[in-house]
Amino acid sequence: MGYAVEVQNIVKKFPPATVAVNDVSFTIEEGEIFGFLGPNGAGKTTLIRMLTCLMLPTKGSAKIKGYDIVKEPSSVRMNFGVVSQAMTSDYDLTGWENLDIYGKYYEIPGKERHERIKYLLDIVELKERAHDLVATYSGGMRRRLELARGLIQKPYILFLDEPTIGLDPQSRRVIWELLQKIRSETKLTIFITTHYMEEADLLCDRIAIIDYGKIVALDSSTNLKKNIGGYDIIEVSLSQTKPEITEKLKILAGVKNIVQKDSTLRIYVDDAARAMPVLIDELKKMNVSILYLTVHEQSLEDVFIHYTGKSIREGESQKVSFLIGPGFPRRF
Amino acid sequence: MRIAAVIERDLRRYLRNPFMMVASVLLPLVYLVVIGNSFQGELKNMPIAVVDQDNGPYARRIIELLQAMQEGTKAIKIYRLNTQREALKLVKKGSCKAALIIPLNFSEDVVRNLKPQLGLFLDNTDSVSSKGISSLISQSLSFLKSEYVPVREEQNKTQLRLVELFKKIDYDSSLVPGAVVMAIFMGTLISGAFNFVMDKFLGVHESYLSTPLTKKDIVAGMIFSGVFITTTMSITVLIGSMLITRLKLAAGLVSFAWLVFTIVLSALGILSMMFIILGRANHPRVVGMIGGFLNVIFFFPSGAVYPIESFPNWLKAFSKVNPEAYAVHALKSIIFKGAGFAVIKGDLLYLAIFTGIMLTIATFTFKRTM
Repeated sequence: MGYAVEVQNIVKKFPPATVAVNDVSFTIEEGEIFGFLGPNGAGKTTLIRMLTCLMLPTKGSAKIKGYDIVKEPSSVRMNFGVVSQAMTSDYDLTGWENLDIYGKYYEIPGKERHERIKYLLDIVELKERAHDLVATYSGGMRRRLELARGLIQKPYILFLDEPTIGLDPQSRRVIWELLQKIRSETKLTIFITTHYMEEADLLCDRIAIIDYGKIVALDSSTNLKKNIGGYDIIEVSLSQTKPEITEKLKILAGVKNIVQKDSTLRIYVDDAARAMPVLIDELKKMNVSILYLTVHEQSLEDVFIHYTGKSIREGESQKVSFLIGPGFPRRF
Repeated sequence: MRIAAVIERDLRRYLRNPFMMVASVLLPLVYLVVIGNSFQGELKNMPIAVVDQDNGPYARRIIELLQAMQEGTKAIKIYRLNTQREALKLVKKGSCKAALIIPLNFSEDVVRNLKPQLGLFLDNTDSVSSKGISSLISQSLSFLKSEYVPVREEQNKTQLRLVELFKKIDYDSSLVPGAVVMAIFMGTLISGAFNFVMDKFLGVHESYLSTPLTKKDIVAGMIFSGVFITTTMSITVLIGSMLITRLKLAAGLVSFAWLVFTIVLSALGILSMMFIILGRANHPRVVGMIGGFLNVIFFFPSGAVYPIESFPNWLKAFSKVNPEAYAVHALKSIIFKGAGFAVIKGDLLYLAIFTGIMLTIATFTFKRTM
C-alpha cells in the first residue's frame, strides 16, 4: 500500500532569511488522521500551502497519492479538499451556492452534485440554513459549511488548517464530532494542523510536533507521552534555583527527568505519590522553600514542553493578533 | 464548465449588491451631466466691467454690440461702471473676468482714423475665459462700422457657406460617447481584477486556488463576468444618456448592434489590461489609487471631451495607443454618423489586437500560487 502523503526534506524559505519549514520529512498512511501540532508561526500553514500547491517549496519534494506537488499540481488538486485557516466561504452567496459553485469547479455533473450537496449539508447540520446568505451564519456554521465544501468532490485526503481556530468551545466540539463521524463513515485520510492539544489528542492517530519549521517529535499521542519518560509530573516553584539543586533531585529514586523554566521545575516521575515525600525531604535538607507544588498526569502540553523547552501557549500569544476574525484580512 | 462557474460566482455576488449596481449606472450619468454643464462647449455669462469715458457714438455702438451679445448668445454679462479704478478693482477681486475701457476721444479717433484704441484688462489667471473674452471683443469690433446688414450679397466678397454633413449635435449629446466610455472604465474597475484583489484582501482566494481551476479558468472567468457587468452598465448608461439628451441613433438597430459590439470589445480589452496592472495588488486601496489615475490618463486624451488633433504631439502619440480613444471614435461614428463596419473597422481591429495581447499577457502573468 502506498502512502497518502510522502514528504521528503521539504524546505520553504522567505526572503530575506526566514526559514518557515526546515527540512521536514514524514509520511501519512491512507485512512490515517495525521496532526501537526505547533504554535502559530511554527510553519504549519506554510507546509499545508505547499502540499495544496499554493506555494512552491524552496527545496525537497512531496507527493499526494503518488502525484508530485510541483510536477503534477493539477492531479494533486483533484485529490484533496482543504479547509483553510481563514474563513474563505463567500458571505454574499448562500450556503448552497457556495457548495454548488465549488462542485462546478470540480466538474461534478448536476444531479450528482445536488445529491452530494444535500448529503453534506445534512452531515454538517446546515440543511435548514442552506438557502440563507453565509453573511447570516455564525463562525461555527461557516466553518461547518467550509468543511462540507472541502468534501464536495469526495477527496482522497482532506487538509484542515487550524479548523477550530477562533471558535467557541461548543462549536469546536461540534467540529470535532463531525470530523470523527466523517472519518468513521468514509475512512478519509485527514491532515490537520492545530495548536490545540486537546484537538490533536482527541482526533489524531499520529502527531508531529513542529517548532521553528522543524519536526521535533512524531508518533502517536500515547507513545509521545511515554517517550518523554515518566507518567506523572510534579511542578514545583522554589524560593531559589541553582544547578546543584536540580542535580541532586535528578538522582532521587523514581525521578525520570527535570525541566527547569525560571524558578519552576517540572519533575517527571514514575509515581507522584511516592516521589513527593522524598522530594520534599530533599528540598528541606537543602534549605529550599517550596512556593507552590502541583501534580498532574502527562499531557501533550508536557510533550511539547519536553521537546521545545516552552509552552505552546507562549508561542501562540505572539501571533494571536494575526487572525482578527472570520474573513478578515491578514495583510494590511 | 469551470469558467462558467467562475462567471456565475462573480455575477451572483454582483447581483447581491444593489448599491453597486445602481451606483455603477448612475455615476457615469452624473459625469455626463456635470461635464456637460461645466464645459458647455462655449463660454457663458462672462462678467465684464465696461467703462465709457468717451460717451461718443462709436462708444455707444460698442456697448450696443456687447449688449446684443449679452442678450443673444449670453456669452457675456456687462456691468457698467464709471471709473477705470472701480472696474479694475472688480477684476482684481475676481468679480469680473475683464474690464473694457473706452477712452476719452475714442469716437473722434475712429472718425479721423487715428488708430483708435480700447483698453481690455484681462484676468489672465483664467486662460480659458481671458482668451474667449479677448476673441469675443475683437469679433464685435469688426462690426463697429457696419451700420446695416446688406440685403443683397456683395459680389466682390468671398462668401463662406457652411454645410453640416450630419444632423445637428448639441454639446450635451456630443458627450454621450464619453459617458459610455466612462461607464466602460468604471465597470472594468469594479469587476474583473477588482474581484480578485478583494478576494485576496479577504483571504477568500486561497480556497479556489486550491481547486483544479487553471490560470485560464480564473482569468477568463473573471474577465468575462466583468465584460457582462460592464456591458450591461454601459448599455444602461447609453440608453439613459440618450434619453437625457434626447439623442436618437443615426441608423437604428444596426447602429445599436455595432455599439454593443464596440462596448464588449472595449470592455474586454480594458478588463484584460486591468488584470495585468492589478493582478498582483493585495489591497483595494491600490485599486482605488491606480483606478483614479488611469481614469484620468485614459479618459481625457480619448477625444471624448476635446479633439485629439488639438493635443500636443506627445499626448497625440499616447492617444494612438489609448484603447479609449478608439472606443470613443467608434462610438461617435456609430451614434452620430450612423457609421457601419467600413468606418469603424480600424477602431475594432485595434481594440481586437489590444484585447488579444492584453488577455494573453494577463493569463501568462497571473500568479496561480500565493
